[in-house]
Amino acid sequence: MIRPDEIKMSTEETGKWGMVIDQDLCTGCQACVAACAMENNISFVGEEDSGYGRSMHWMRIERFWEGEYPEVKMTPQQPMLCQQCGHATCEPVCPAFATVHSQAEQLNLQVYNRCVGTRYCANNCPYQVRAFNWRDYQRPEPLPNQLNPDVTVRRMGVMEKCTFCIQRIHKAQDKAKAEGREVVDGEFTTACAQACPANAIVFGRVDNPESLVSQLAHEGHGVKHLEELGTLPNVTYFKGG
Amino acid sequence: MSEQFSRRDFLKLAGLGAATTAILTGCGPASRYVKREPYQQMPEYNSVGQSTYYATTCRECAAGCGLIVRTYQGRALKTEGNANHPLNLGKTCARGQATLQGLYNPDRVTDPNKAGAAMAWDAAIQVVADTLANYKPEEIAFLMGTAPDHLFDLVTDMANATGMNAPIRFGALSMFEARATLSKAAEEALGHFSLPWFDVGGAQVVLSFGANFLETWLSPVSYTRGFAGLREAKTKVRGKFIQFEARLSATGAKADEWVPLRPGTEALVALAIGKLAAEIRGGALPRVFSGVEPIDVAAASDVPLETLERIAGLVAASGGVLAIPGGPALGQSNGLAVAEAVLALNAFADNLGKPGGVYISGLAPAQVEYQRAASAQEMQELADKMASGAIKALFVHGVNPVFELPVSIDFKGAMANVEQVISFATFPDETSSLAHYVFPDHHGLESWGYQRVATGAAQPVLSGAQPVVSPFYNTRATADVLIAAAQLAGGKFAEALPYRDEVEFLNTKVAALMAEADGSFSAPEAVTFMAYFQQYGGWWKKSSALATPASDKALEQNIAAAEAEFSGEGEFFLVPFVSPTLAEAGANKPWLQELPDPTTTVMWNTWVEINPKTAEELGIATDDLVKVSSEAGEIQAYAYLYPAIRPDTVAIPYGQGHTAYGRYAENRGANPANLISGYFNEAGDLAFAGMKVKVEKISSAVSGAGLSRMESGMGVYGDFLGKEE
Repeated sequence: MIRPDEIKMSTEETGKWGMVIDQDLCTGCQACVAACAMENNISFVGEEDSGYGRSMHWMRIERFWEGEYPEVKMTPQQPMLCQQCGHATCEPVCPAFATVHSQAEQLNLQVYNRCVGTRYCANNCPYQVRAFNWRDYQRPEPLPNQLNPDVTVRRMGVMEKCTFCIQRIHKAQDKAKAEGREVVDGEFTTACAQACPANAIVFGRVDNPESLVSQLAHEGHGVKHLEELGTLPNVTYFKGG
Repeated sequence: MSEQFSRRDFLKLAGLGAATTAILTGCGPASRYVKREPYQQMPEYNSVGQSTYYATTCRECAAGCGLIVRTYQGRALKTEGNANHPLNLGKTCARGQATLQGLYNPDRVTDPNKAGAAMAWDAAIQVVADTLANYKPEEIAFLMGTAPDHLFDLVTDMANATGMNAPIRFGALSMFEARATLSKAAEEALGHFSLPWFDVGGAQVVLSFGANFLETWLSPVSYTRGFAGLREAKTKVRGKFIQFEARLSATGAKADEWVPLRPGTEALVALAIGKLAAEIRGGALPRVFSGVEPIDVAAASDVPLETLERIAGLVAASGGVLAIPGGPALGQSNGLAVAEAVLALNAFADNLGKPGGVYISGLAPAQVEYQRAASAQEMQELADKMASGAIKALFVHGVNPVFELPVSIDFKGAMANVEQVISFATFPDETSSLAHYVFPDHHGLESWGYQRVATGAAQPVLSGAQPVVSPFYNTRATADVLIAAAQLAGGKFAEALPYRDEVEFLNTKVAALMAEADGSFSAPEAVTFMAYFQQYGGWWKKSSALATPASDKALEQNIAAAEAEFSGEGEFFLVPFVSPTLAEAGANKPWLQELPDPTTTVMWNTWVEINPKTAEELGIATDDLVKVSSEAGEIQAYAYLYPAIRPDTVAIPYGQGHTAYGRYAENRGANPANLISGYFNEAGDLAFAGMKVKVEKISSAVSGAGLSRMESGMGVYGDFLGKEE
């Protein structure tokens, strides 16, 4: 458990875990969105609530239009998820220390049982990737049979967001520790990256220069979104086109 | 185990066991059911227990991707792709991910029943046996889903032995893919009656004429991998992709260039490009291109001559040109000509049977006539036979024809004339609600089986399926029901199916592969072979079986390349397209409903795509309720101003509009199949994109209603309604 006085901002250039998303390969097929929902026990909210922007997607595929018919073009699809910022704007505004930076994982944690639902964090997130449980969304029996026991089920009044599948990180680390070794690059991946039929999402250790994700992230044509805000995001995008 | 064996040693061994047998296998009928325990009774020490993983096959569409399902305490928790499976190499689409929402769907058929009244399985099997025995074989028809699976083989065996009608496979996806047209064109232009396979990954320039190969077309996971190969710039120049279609699809949105041609002119455009390219390249003009005049084509298709010349330049100059016909382009009166013209472009580009070109899909193991599902015209013939009383007993499995066929074919009316309709539906749907009996099959994840991979993988693949959880309800495998009923019916039926149960049938069929050379695994005896089959999730050959098409015919064809004919009085072309997220049977899965459509971001509903300029002229805004009417019928849905559609075209997604398919699907949206007349092209496929429709505004958008869509992530109801984002 991290005490409040132990919480400090990360000033390091790189985090520990990171992701590279190639927008040139992304087809917007939503496999990652579905995989994320299935892995992380995300509630569906129904037509009306989703129309009010209350859907619980931890990731969404953004697309924009440029020009007018016939010279109209869709910009490359942009999967948007928590950027696991090294210097996250959601963290300092939480009065309950529910949105904290993990020293061990270098990730932005969301501690559900601390969250009191002020929604300040969502307000302050420039990427708009946090989802708030406006209700206790129902899963009629027997749908709860599908719930992943490794992931907490959230209830009304709690904020949630992408965790980089921290349950998978921990599982891989536990296994590696039991076998007396380090986690190998590619040994596990997040639900979205595992599903992606185009291999547009690559996940791994960005502090290991040998890993695939580091090599991709340093290729040069990668961009980080809203980097000018100083958030130090850990997701790199290839714009494509 | 010795007495000195400590608990510590035991745990070590147990851990080792868990690591080495990561993918478990059920070994036979005795082990077909795993125990399911509720969380409440779960012992404390089990909460950090090991998961078990089973390899099986995805049944959400007919492609046949391999899955690995994570289970825990007898529950299925997550589906992932099977990394060894040659078709999908560990990947899945959104529908594969959501398959658990079908397994644990709150609206399933729980018991065998007669018009809703539950009955015992023994009585149910007697009903099936009586039906087989009491009707003449030629009065019995069996209708199944598109997938060429073990049940299809079982019924085929039964039909061959008894003279019963051969089973008919059909699905809305095969109708919208126009599989019959594609296969027929492959026969006429390439000399093989089989689905062609397009090596997108190896190509340099891809010209797609309406093919929605990144959405639902034939084998979307495999084709998406191909697309990634096209774009991968590591080892070669980034491939170019041009899409020809009237309405920009989610596939077209990935293209470098969109050519919004006039619907019906696809064949002309393909031939004109071929002619211009042949002129650039010089030499004799292939006969197939000789009938068109590019300048006239440019006028008819609204594609400027310069554009045609520029693309022809690409075709003439660069290697690695690949042209793909598909989607609405084939579902027109001249669909066959479109397919042949586009295949001729491939022959001109000299890519037949070469990397980055066109191949013929190899035959999957355990061959019977399976390559193509029934066309809509064959379904019309079935409906006619049912209506005339020639078919007196109908079995339906894995397909929902009352919903999936256009009302103009009137399958519902035909069903009313059939004396005995028995449905094996897992979910209550429009067809099963009209059946006399419903004898529910297991969900795919509770089932044994195998399925052929018809196209998408280079090598022949027989994908294996096994139950990953014990059946949740009082359901029974349809194969078991038919085997038991055949024994009761006696005579030729009993002779045709001399098996104890479904598993013995599968063992017999799969064991036949032991003699095949070049298999992905081998085993000395049948039990081990079957265990490997389940453990690996199927059997496949190590080497490619893609066939090289014959190249002599394609360029010598005479293609009657007239424009397509359209029926109806309306001023708009109608493009019905399959929803990329829901497809034909996804509407009852709540998370698929809540996935935003890739292009419009709409969730949970049906929309009508209208060009913004056209909408302005008609006084229509996004979220206005509109009526779309054709000669066949009318539907109402909300308008969506779609920037990437021709002004003379409207498009409507297919997948919603159910009247009976569980709580998440019912009374939601509208079904564009209600707008389609029963016209067929030369290959017997439905001319679903051959309608002209009228669009009328019914009412203006009101706050808190209209299309629920993601757009900005902020929601669109309330304050955002009717404003420009």
